[in-house]
Amino acid sequence: MLEATNLYSYYGKSPVLQDIGFHLDKGQILTVLGRNGVGKTTLMRTFMGLTDRMTGRLMFNGKDISAMRTSERAMLGIGYIPQGREVIPRFTVRENILMGCYARPDGKRVLPEFVFELFPILKEFMDRRGGDLSGGQQQQLAIARALAMDPKLLVLDEPTEGIQPNIVQQIHDVIIRLNREFGITIVVVEQNVPFARRVSDRFLVIDKGRVALTGAGADLTDEVAEKHLTF
Amino acid sequence: MDAILNQAFAGLSMASILLIVALGLAIIYGSMGVINLAHGEFVMLGAYAAWAMQSFLGFSILVSLPFIFVAIAVVGWVVERGVVHRLYRRPLDTILATWGIGIVLQQLVRMFIGPESLFVATPTILEGNTVIGAVVMSNYRLFVIAFAVAVLAATWGLMTRTEFGTRLRAVIQNREISECYGIRAEKVYATTFAYGAGLAGVAGALLTPLVSTTPSMGTYLVVDAFLVVIIGGVGSLIGTAVAAGAVGEATALFSMLMNDTLGRIAVLLAIILLIRFRPNGLFPQTIRR
Repeated sequence: MLEATNLYSYYGKSPVLQDIGFHLDKGQILTVLGRNGVGKTTLMRTFMGLTDRMTGRLMFNGKDISAMRTSERAMLGIGYIPQGREVIPRFTVRENILMGCYARPDGKRVLPEFVFELFPILKEFMDRRGGDLSGGQQQQLAIARALAMDPKLLVLDEPTEGIQPNIVQQIHDVIIRLNREFGITIVVVEQNVPFARRVSDRFLVIDKGRVALTGAGADLTDEVAEKHLTF
Repeated sequence: MDAILNQAFAGLSMASILLIVALGLAIIYGSMGVINLAHGEFVMLGAYAAWAMQSFLGFSILVSLPFIFVAIAVVGWVVERGVVHRLYRRPLDTILATWGIGIVLQQLVRMFIGPESLFVATPTILEGNTVIGAVVMSNYRLFVIAFAVAVLAATWGLMTRTEFGTRLRAVIQNREISECYGIRAEKVYATTFAYGAGLAGVAGALLTPLVSTTPSMGTYLVVDAFLVVIIGGVGSLIGTAVAAGAVGEATALFSMLMNDTLGRIAVLLAIILLIRFRPNGLFPQTIRR
């Protein structure tokens, strides 16, 4: 489903990511862990083509997407939920979700009902502006927006960062449901080691722009966390 | 009293042209932050297009308006794709580049059509005046006012009621995330620029029966249109409409009270004062992030 080989990604002339390689099968969950500033977000942005330049190979669903523009990658079915949510502040909740549909190759423009079953609060706030929602609500909206495009792969960058604990739980549950019930392949940047261990089929620990360690979810032991994730 | 009403009507008619010019400018500036100094020349090209269609094809401007809109929109599209699009990260260079394009367009017209002023006839159905009390209103000016209102409504509809408008508003607020949801920002920008240029062309065509058509006719107009955009507040259609009305009326009334030159000075002073106290214009965008 998603495969990187010998991937380098640059901001200006500095290679922020170096020699990244991994592969992820359809229907799996990949968690990406690492300390602050090691390149996790850059890796997510590289999937979407938002860094200045990349070299190496990036395959999605059997196609080489490394030279594609961002909007084309979206059209292939990669739903990106960036760090900091980035909902459109002056759009209503409805418009924000509708915007997700613009990445549908079939041209449909309907709000998917199951989104409101996952996040009932959004139905209630349909006509509020995105910028007026709380952080947790914005995160739910950002996920809803990505689901409106009927994605094959969801890329979530720290979806629970800075969010109140009861919503963190809800978002974790939704991620699991989307994977188990809807069969969506998921890449998620996550700081919470127990959660990562519980849900991951594969994990990737990044350090200084390189893959420090990779393995199956169960290999993500406390010793590993101690060694790579504490300061 | 009658003199004031007549002058107020003249101001309104001037404001309506200003509105169409400023709308194009406001959309281009509001959405991509490009200060398009070639906008006045798009107006001029619109006027020459009206002249050309009248003298070579015998079309009255009413008939040629849609063609002129499309033709000048194409010119705008070419300018955006050819030059402006490469300079989005360098706003100052855009000013210089569009200024240069303006000069080139002006000189091309001067070389191939000539510097003398040209005449375009008022459409025959719009000749004559409508008189209410002591106020004499030319039918053509009434038409221009109605047309400007219609253009404002159409632009508002385009921005808020169509998918193109939603895409544009998304790109304005967050270009990166818009691209992540399938929106090709550069396509949206090019279309927006073309639309703004097309509006300028239409304004130029509408101007032809009112002022003389010369290669430098757009230069004065673009200054006023910029004032309108700044007074209205960037990104606000309503602001642009209100400001166009205010500038048009103020110019007309001050000119009557003093004379044209002093009136002009008074208007500019008033604008400086206004910007001093409301630096973001009359209708600034307020948003929480």
